[in-house]
Amino acid sequence: MVARAVDAYRTLADLAETVEEEWQYVTDLFDAYEPSIRALAGADPTRALTAPEVAAVDEVIAEIGLITDPHKAIDWLSTFPHVVGLALGGDVNRPAGEAADGAGPGGDPLEPDDDSPFRTLRGNR
Amino acid sequence: MRFQDAARDARTVVYAGIQADPLVARAAALLAEATTAERLLARAAMNGERTDPETWRRIFPTLFGEGSEGACKHAELVLAASLQIAERGEAARSQYRGAVVEELTARLLARRGSSETSDAPIRRERRVLFDGVRAEIHPYDVTVESADHPEVYDCKWGARGINADVLNQLDDARAHAADEDVRLHVAIVVFDARPSCELRLDRSTANHDGTDLVALESLDALSGGPIRATS
Repeated sequence: MVARAVDAYRTLADLAETVEEEWQYVTDLFDAYEPSIRALAGADPTRALTAPEVAAVDEVIAEIGLITDPHKAIDWLSTFPHVVGLALGGDVNRPAGEAADGAGPGGDPLEPDDDSPFRTLRGNR
Repeated sequence: MRFQDAARDARTVVYAGIQADPLVARAAALLAEATTAERLLARAAMNGERTDPETWRRIFPTLFGEGSEGACKHAELVLAASLQIAERGEAARSQYRGAVVEELTARLLARRGSSETSDAPIRRERRVLFDGVRAEIHPYDVTVESADHPEVYDCKWGARGINADVLNQLDDARAHAADEDVRLHVAIVVFDARPSCELRLDRSTANHDGTDLVALESLDALSGGPIRATS
């Protein structure tokens, strides 16, 4: 499943890099995210994917497979990894504005990205 | 230093019509209350090829699947508004998306309760004028017009919107304000993932050391007062 997501991501990058002036950015996005997508497979090798998880990744692979506009492909190079990460177990249920330590509104100001579901994809940066 | 309404040309008149569309206000209101995952859903659906909701429910099982009943209703509203924007067509949807990010930014800024800038007017499409400095071409999308702690925000749908012109204008404004002994907080709000924004910024030769980045994951920080640059 993750291997198919990586293949789809590579195909998307191939389309995106036809926008010549954005070649560097496309390359940077691919180099940053492709290993992160690949790492999702190794995050917990013992866990079998659920049917909804498989369906979600299948659907988003199908979605980017429909893209023909290279400019839209660039946008999706940023979006696709996060959608896949979310489908495969991101930390997504915390309400926006609630700190990771449980502090609610009125508590200490949030550090940017404390509520990010993308931590896995960023290598917990 | 002072703020001024931007001059209205044909483009801005057309765009003002989009900004005033109730769909923009509804989408922004929903996104102001959304989780980060719901905002990711909105980003994906507004930029998707398919506009049938069932596809997007399958792509986001954590929002619409079993065990998500409480959040599901709000996610459904976010999805419906996002797909309405997507259905406007490729040409119009990019303008709608931009207008939504601007409106969302203004709404989140307006939530400040007790900060020192909470009573400052929040305005749209404003220029900042400095003594002896030629006026900027492009207005700022959102401004917080506090006498003591003014703020200006440029809003972008995606990280690709971060470019040297935007960064230079923000940094120039900050520098000109400093020349007048005013600490102007400048930031770029991007409805995109922070790593994608940082990649863009890392390649930019424009000075952005004094410019904050507010990315998709940290939008709620706008409600807590100016945050320090993390770039």
